[in-house]
Amino acid sequence: MKFAADLLLDPLSFLLIACCLVGLALVLRFRAPRVLDGLYLAGGVAGALFLIAILVIILMNMSARWLLIPFPGSTDYAGYCMAASSCFALAYALNNGAHIRVNLVLGRLGSWRRYGEIWCYGVAALMALVFARYAVKTNIWSEKLNEISQGQDKTEIWIPQLSMTIGAILLALALIDHLVRLLVTEHEGVAKTALGEGEA
Amino acid sequence: MTISTSPGMTLPSVNKRLIGAAVAIALGMGAWFLLHSMGEEDVWAKTALFIFILFFLLGSGVWVGLALMAVAYIGLDVFVPGIAGDRMLTTIWSSSSSWTLTALPLFIWMGEILFRTRLSEDMFRGLSPWMAGLPGGLLHTNVVGCTVFAAVSGSSAATLTTVGKMSIPELRRRGYPEFMTIGTLAGSATLGLMIPPSLTLIVYGVTINESITKLFIAGIVPGLVLATMFMGYCAAWYYLFPSQRPARDPGMSFSAKLWNSRFLIPVICLILAVIGSMYMGLATPTEAAAIGVLGALILAALQGSLNWQTFTESLMGATRTSAMIALILMGAAALAQSMGFTGLPRALAEWIASMDLSVFTLIAALTIFFIIIGCFLDGISSVVLTMAVIEPMVNIPAFQDLGFSMIWFGIFVVVVVEMAQITPPIGFNLFVLQGMIGKEIGYIAKTAIPMFLIMVLMVAILVMFPELATWLPETARSTPG
Repeated sequence: MKFAADLLLDPLSFLLIACCLVGLALVLRFRAPRVLDGLYLAGGVAGALFLIAILVIILMNMSARWLLIPFPGSTDYAGYCMAASSCFALAYALNNGAHIRVNLVLGRLGSWRRYGEIWCYGVAALMALVFARYAVKTNIWSEKLNEISQGQDKTEIWIPQLSMTIGAILLALALIDHLVRLLVTEHEGVAKTALGEGEA
Repeated sequence: MTISTSPGMTLPSVNKRLIGAAVAIALGMGAWFLLHSMGEEDVWAKTALFIFILFFLLGSGVWVGLALMAVAYIGLDVFVPGIAGDRMLTTIWSSSSSWTLTALPLFIWMGEILFRTRLSEDMFRGLSPWMAGLPGGLLHTNVVGCTVFAAVSGSSAATLTTVGKMSIPELRRRGYPEFMTIGTLAGSATLGLMIPPSLTLIVYGVTINESITKLFIAGIVPGLVLATMFMGYCAAWYYLFPSQRPARDPGMSFSAKLWNSRFLIPVICLILAVIGSMYMGLATPTEAAAIGVLGALILAALQGSLNWQTFTESLMGATRTSAMIALILMGAAALAQSMGFTGLPRALAEWIASMDLSVFTLIAALTIFFIIIGCFLDGISSVVLTMAVIEPMVNIPAFQDLGFSMIWFGIFVVVVVEMAQITPPIGFNLFVLQGMIGKEIGYIAKTAIPMFLIMVLMVAILVMFPELATWLPETARSTPG
C-alpha cells in the first residue's frame, strides 16, 4: 500500500516543483535576468555571512571555555552555519565555475560540445530537482513531527534545515536556467572552471 | 551571461538540440527501467551497472558532487525501493551540518587571505639568503617555500601559485634551468596536501570518522621526509650537472641573512599557533582554523594588504571553494550509504582477505589503482570516491584483520593523491603551472617525472617504516571536548 501511495504522490509533487522552477527560470531569465543573477549572488553573500558566523561562534566558544563560561550547543550552531554556508552558496559556486567536473571528454567534443553540455546540465538539473524535492519533504516532515536536535542546543531541526531546502531549490533553479538557455539561445554554459586559487 | 537573441526568435539549431535532449531522456528512462526490472537475484548485474553509471556520469562531465549524488540515489532506489530520497536527504543533512567539517571552510579562508598578501615576496626574501649557499642553490627556495606555505594552507594549488609567482621569475632571472625550476615547484607544491592543515586529510577524516588532529599530526613527519628528499633531488642535480649551475648570488653576512629573515617571523608565528595549539591539545582543528583565520587577518593588516576588496574577495573565494567541496561531500555521503546496500564493500573485503595477499602487494595494487583514478579525478574527489567503498569496509572483520591503521592509511592516501596532482591528463598542479608560465602540459609533466618517482619511493618508505606516520600522533595530547 505504502509503495503505491508513493508512486502516486512522488511523481506528482516532483513534477509540480519541476514545473514551478522551469516556469520561474523562463520568466525571470527572459523578463528580468537581473533578478535571477541577483538571487544567485544573494545566495553567495548569505553563504559568506554564515562563514563569518562559523568563525564568530568558534571564537566565542573558545573564549567561553577559557573564561569558564558555559556556551551550550555551540558546536551544533557551528554545524548549522556550516550547512547554511555551503548550501546557500551552491548556486553561486556553480555560476562562478567553482564546482569540479571532468572536462576530458567535453573538451574534445568540438562542435558537439553543446550537446555534451545539454546532457550534463540535464542530468545535473534532474538530480538537483530530486535533491530539492526531498529537501522540501524532509523539511516539512521535521516541522510536522516536531523534531528536536539531539545536542545541547535543543533547536527545532526544521529551522536550520530551511537553509538546505532553499539552497537546493536555488541550485536546481540555476541549473534549469542554464539548461533552458543552452537549449534555446547561444549560451554556452558556465565559463571554464577557474583554476588556480582554491582547488586542493 | 548575456543572451544574444531575443526570446521570441528561434535559432536554426534549436530543433536539433531538443531532439538530442529527448534522445538522452529516452536513454535515461531505458536505463532506469532496466535497473528496476532486474530481480532480487541479479545483485552482481545491478552492481556492475551501478558502477558503470557512476563512471559514465563522471566521465561525461557531470559535476562530481551531483554525479555521486545521482548514482547514490539510483542505487538506493534500486536496492531499497520506496524511501530512497528520504534516506538520502537524512544522510546529506547530517553529513553537511557536522561540527568537524567546520574546519574546512575556515582553513580555506585562511589560505585565501594569505594568498592575497605579500607573503610570497616576504618568503622569498627571507629564505633565499639561506638557500643560496646550499648545493642546488635557490631551487631549495621552491621546496622550503612550499613546505612553509603548506603549513598555513591546505591546498596544493594555492601553495603552488603563492610560491611560484615569486620564485619562477626570480630563478629565471638568475639563469636556473627551466626544467629544474618547474619540476621542483610542481612536486613540492603537493606538500600542501600533506603538511597540516590539509584539506584532503580533513575530507578523509570526516568521511571515515577519524580524528583530524591525529591525521594532521601524522602528516608532519612524512611531509618533512618528503621535503628532504625533494631537496636531495636539487642537490643531486647540482653535483650531476655542474655545467648547468648558474652564477652564485653575492654572499651575505650572517647578520644580514638574519635581518632579511625577519620577514619570516609572522608566518612562523602563525604556523606555531595553528599546528602547535592542535599538538598541545589546546584547540580542536576547527578552533585552530579559527585562530588561523584571525592570525592571517592580523598578518594581512600589518602588511597593509588588508582592505575591503581583498577581504571580500578572500571571503567569497572561500565560500565558493567550500561550497564546491561541500557538494562533493554531500554526494559522497549519499554514495557511501548507497554502497553499503550494494554489498560491494563486503564482497571486496572478503575477496581481499581470501586472496591472502601480503600487505606489500595490497599496497602496490592500491597505489596503482589510485594513480589511475587520479589521472582523471582531482584529489578530493578521488579520496571521497574510494572512501565511499572503503568506509563501509572499515567495520568488516575481514578488513580489520588486515591490520590497517586508518591514520597510516590516510597518510598513504595523501601521498598517492599527491602523485595524481602531477600526472597528466588531469593533474591540477600541471594546469596551474601551465596557466602561470604558458608552457605545454606535456613538458611540465616531464619535468615532474623525477618528483613522481621520489613520491613512489616515499610510498615504499611509508610501508617499510609505518612509524613515520603513526609515532608523532601518539605523543600528541588529546583535545579537550
